[in-house]
Amino acid sequence: MLTGFLLLPLAGSIMTLFVPEHRKTEARWIALFFSTLAFILALVIYVAYDSTAGGMQFVDSTNWIQTDVVTLGFGLGVDGLSAPMILLLGLLGVVSVLVSWKIDEKPGQYFAWLLLLESAIAGVFLSLDLIQFFLFWELELLPMFMLISRWGSGRKLYSATKFLIYTLAGSALMLAGFLLLGAAGGSFDIQQLTESPVTETVLPMAVVFWAIMLAFLVKLPVVPVHTWLPDAHTDAPTAVSVMLAGVLLKMGGYGILRIAIPLMPDAALQSQDILAGLAGLSIIWGGVITLRQTDLKRLIAYSSVSHMGYVLLGVSAMGAVGFSGAALQMFTHGTITGLLFVMVGYFYDRTHTRQISEMSGLIHHLPKGGIIMIFAGLASLGLPGLSGFVAELTVFLGAFEAHPVATTMGIIGVVLSSGYILWMVQRVLHGPADPKWEHLRDSTSWPEWTAIVALIIPIVLFGIYPAILAEIVETGLQQVSGIVTVLEGGI
Amino acid sequence: MDSGWEDSCGERGFEQNIMLLPDIPEILVWLIYAAPITSALLIFVTLRGLNLPFLSELGSDGRSARIAVIFGLISWVLSLWLLDTTIHHHGEDLGFGDYVWLSLFDLEISLGLGIDGLSSVMIFVVASVALLVQIYSIGYMKHDPGFSRFLLFMSLFIAAMLGLVMSSGLLQLFIHWELVGLTSYLLIGFWFERPAAAAAAKKAFIVTRFGDIGFVIALTVIWINVGTFDISEINLLAHAGGITAPVLTGFTLGLLAGAAGKSAQFPLHFWLPDAMEGPTPVSSIVHSATMVAAGVYLLARFFPAIDAAPQSVSTVIAYVGGFTAIFAASMGVVVTDIKRVLAYSTVSQLGYMVMAIGLGGYVAAIFHLFTHAFFKSLLFWGAGSVSHATGTFEMGKMGGLRGAMPVTFVTFVIGSLSLAGIFPLAGFWSKDEILLEAWHADKLLWLIGTAVAFLTALYMFRAIFLTFFGEYKGGESDSEHGDTHSGSPHESPPTMGIPMLFGAVAAVTFGFFAFMHFGEFVEGALPEEMRHFHFHVEGLVLMISTLAALAGIGAAAAIYLAGRPQASDISSRMPKIHSTVSRLYYVNEVAEDRLVRGALLSGLARGAELIDRLVIETVVNGAASVTKLVGEGLRRSATGQVQSYTSAYMVGLVAILGGFMVLSGDMLSVFGIDIQAIIDYSLKMMNPKNLIPPK
Repeated sequence: MLTGFLLLPLAGSIMTLFVPEHRKTEARWIALFFSTLAFILALVIYVAYDSTAGGMQFVDSTNWIQTDVVTLGFGLGVDGLSAPMILLLGLLGVVSVLVSWKIDEKPGQYFAWLLLLESAIAGVFLSLDLIQFFLFWELELLPMFMLISRWGSGRKLYSATKFLIYTLAGSALMLAGFLLLGAAGGSFDIQQLTESPVTETVLPMAVVFWAIMLAFLVKLPVVPVHTWLPDAHTDAPTAVSVMLAGVLLKMGGYGILRIAIPLMPDAALQSQDILAGLAGLSIIWGGVITLRQTDLKRLIAYSSVSHMGYVLLGVSAMGAVGFSGAALQMFTHGTITGLLFVMVGYFYDRTHTRQISEMSGLIHHLPKGGIIMIFAGLASLGLPGLSGFVAELTVFLGAFEAHPVATTMGIIGVVLSSGYILWMVQRVLHGPADPKWEHLRDSTSWPEWTAIVALIIPIVLFGIYPAILAEIVETGLQQVSGIVTVLEGGI
Repeated sequence: MDSGWEDSCGERGFEQNIMLLPDIPEILVWLIYAAPITSALLIFVTLRGLNLPFLSELGSDGRSARIAVIFGLISWVLSLWLLDTTIHHHGEDLGFGDYVWLSLFDLEISLGLGIDGLSSVMIFVVASVALLVQIYSIGYMKHDPGFSRFLLFMSLFIAAMLGLVMSSGLLQLFIHWELVGLTSYLLIGFWFERPAAAAAAKKAFIVTRFGDIGFVIALTVIWINVGTFDISEINLLAHAGGITAPVLTGFTLGLLAGAAGKSAQFPLHFWLPDAMEGPTPVSSIVHSATMVAAGVYLLARFFPAIDAAPQSVSTVIAYVGGFTAIFAASMGVVVTDIKRVLAYSTVSQLGYMVMAIGLGGYVAAIFHLFTHAFFKSLLFWGAGSVSHATGTFEMGKMGGLRGAMPVTFVTFVIGSLSLAGIFPLAGFWSKDEILLEAWHADKLLWLIGTAVAFLTALYMFRAIFLTFFGEYKGGESDSEHGDTHSGSPHESPPTMGIPMLFGAVAAVTFGFFAFMHFGEFVEGALPEEMRHFHFHVEGLVLMISTLAALAGIGAAAAIYLAGRPQASDISSRMPKIHSTVSRLYYVNEVAEDRLVRGALLSGLARGAELIDRLVIETVVNGAASVTKLVGEGLRRSATGQVQSYTSAYMVGLVAILGGFMVLSGDMLSVFGIDIQAIIDYSLKMMNPKNLIPPK
């Protein structure tokens, strides 16, 4: 089943590649077909996952490389931590195809890259083996680079390259860290290394920990290694922004919860204050800079820096509730920011500008788009009843005891978020109608609306009844929170 | 409308009421909350063109109006029944169950109904004012193109407000607290095309959220230390001494910060006058009777915890309230917009209530909240009615309206007398309870309170004399307020007049509940040892405050009716004070220009952005140059940065992938694809020629 989820987008990717260039519609439909199938499969996996049993389920594994020295496994599995990520990926996969419907320049190649990206990310979330994890982690770079540099706008080459350099720098260290761990533990199997953690390598554990963490922190991203994100977002096409903010950043948080903490719990516990400090800094720094942004897309991009800080804050608490908050925040931020980027694209497609100063009173001409933009904004500022609230609150409750100062910074970040969101709404949507935008009309195209509705549903659903998400997340985090609780008791 | 109360209270108090009605079932209590939600949903579907059978003959506005009123009535009738039931139970908690909403490891969040004397009074207030406001809005907003949207937002607000006062858990309360803030945002910004309204809406939301920092810290602190969000559990534990003093101090001060934001207490008061940009019905319910009272409710709800906290917490609360009361009242005397006079008056009266809580006057605070909700709504309805006729809220452009608008005039005077605390109107009884608490507890605060009584009478009668006496100044023909009609002044339609009449009846009579064991009833919400309220009056306190109020009226009459001395003479004699007060003590300037625009946007944010651009970029570009050198080395060419990076990347990727492929033949079959082909293709794509899309 999981292999199916991994291969479906890839199959679609290859098929779209062979669609002749002039038959654009077919490429779209093939992409939609495969991404929808993958989403359905993700939904089945999510529903069929047995929360009471817990652990890794639907495991597909083979031994891939067997030498005398080391065995490399190829294994796919899903647990309560990865299941929501897979669901999110499947959902955003469909959404990103739908919002790319109007891509006119070589759609065959475009969708091939987009679907390859989905497969690569799926590989990251499903991997049971460190080296395999790393390979998929690297594989995701290529489609991202191509999509931004070829189908982007503005300084797209610069941004794509910056993205590449940052990630490569991080992942080089990550590979080194993995190799050290694997060498010391005699295996690259994540589960095995979790159950009997490596306590000693050639280098001090703290060095190994930070080498691996750096890759995740760059991805998340955390101040001060965040500057690739606003550029990449600003110049990427809408669908890529959706994937980037929606699932790519989550690879960082996922890596921390799946690898960094369970495999090196001692080092993680010793570093928790630094992590909390970075989290608080990211939240405030990101929030404050967001206030000054004049480009709509850049504004949302910087707000991601602030919001992903909550993931790190939850993680830094090194406790069950904080971890849950981080996992919930990853999921909800994916849907909410995904929707925000879709809406930014919606406005850009019509006004052909992203400069906030050039917009005013757009809600008069685009009432439906305006209402959904406000909805997404409210979700982003953590309004109760929508999914962001539960996630942020859980982070605060989990982190306050361990890190009161950083958590207070997080709470202040919520006020900053209402500042930049509502100010944006005031400048872009409210105010008198501008005759310049007289000609604008709300969208009537079904792909656009399907994408929007597909994102609204989980935001409302998990906001009103978070238990359906919380239950599975709780199972997924039992192991890692068990490990840190035992260790904390020892300290 | 007070008949329900009297039926069940009877003359000898609630202990011996006539048991006509059985206890209200839990599902119907939920219905009080569900009714406005249903109303909102129905208005929404009718707006979308769905025709409901029993309303088919009406236009869409008429349908919305009918839906809103019917469901408002349902809520109100049920709130009366609920009040009756709680009176049977002596105001003690009815003990409805809780339902688990979210459970994550140690964290369990439940939703449930916490119904006792305190909350049932609040539910009654909210449901009553809501019903009257919905009726009033039908007249006031009739010609607005967004009429149905307005009733929809109002229904949502009412639901959130009812949810707030019904909550059994602190977190559930907080959820509704935020939703109330949202609906307030939507309603203030109802005329979003007006920049002032859009700005005011944003300001209200952000400033109240600033206070919520304290609220969130409070609920986090209490959960970490007590492990529950249940309000009565927290209160009982605090009362029994089961929570340490530092925790209680942090908790209650956090709540105070939240309450200060919502109830517009200094220094977070400055959003409320701006919120008057919203339609007048909104000002009357959201920004005078209910939402802004939520902060006081919150403090009252946790009164046992405040009582158990160190004395200094109570002192802080009392002085925040007392200072706000006199500070806001002084501004009420100088502003020229009639709604802003009422707004500052609301801030000032909320200060009274907060002060009462701090002084230990739990009953006095709630009683004043109760009477104030009705007479202040009435005053707002009057102000709306006046502007409906004249097209302006500027008192300088009104005058002489008492002949043309007799109903408005009479009800407005009644409301003002009640607010000024003239015997025997409602405000007299409730305000005197507060002053009595102050007299016994803290003479300085009593002095402040009495001065506020003087100022209150002064600014209200200044408003009356400017608006209803003298010559008509012609109003505003070219109205900038979207909710008004111009022309010669005329009395408002009955949909507006009837709520005003009801409000006037309440403003006169509701004070007498003091004699009907109102205090004992709301004390049912407290632990037993804390119930020690006995209604009494003290001649001296009562006389001094009445004299102060009469002096205020007299001063207003001398200056604004007789013109001796002229208002301009007074202001020119003390220019410094006058300009400071009329610039509202420069709070807006400091908060918006200095702190937000100056320190935050131009200082902190600009600095952070600069560091982002310069320092971090320099480091990154430094690293990039190294990469560039490597790339150049590899390619032995200097065609540009990008190619170098891509080649460096590709070399790396190919090396890694190639290495593994050499190691394993199985991999290809597992992937089911030809990786080599992908890599070849990628390399082809990487060719610089392909990187630049054709123009």
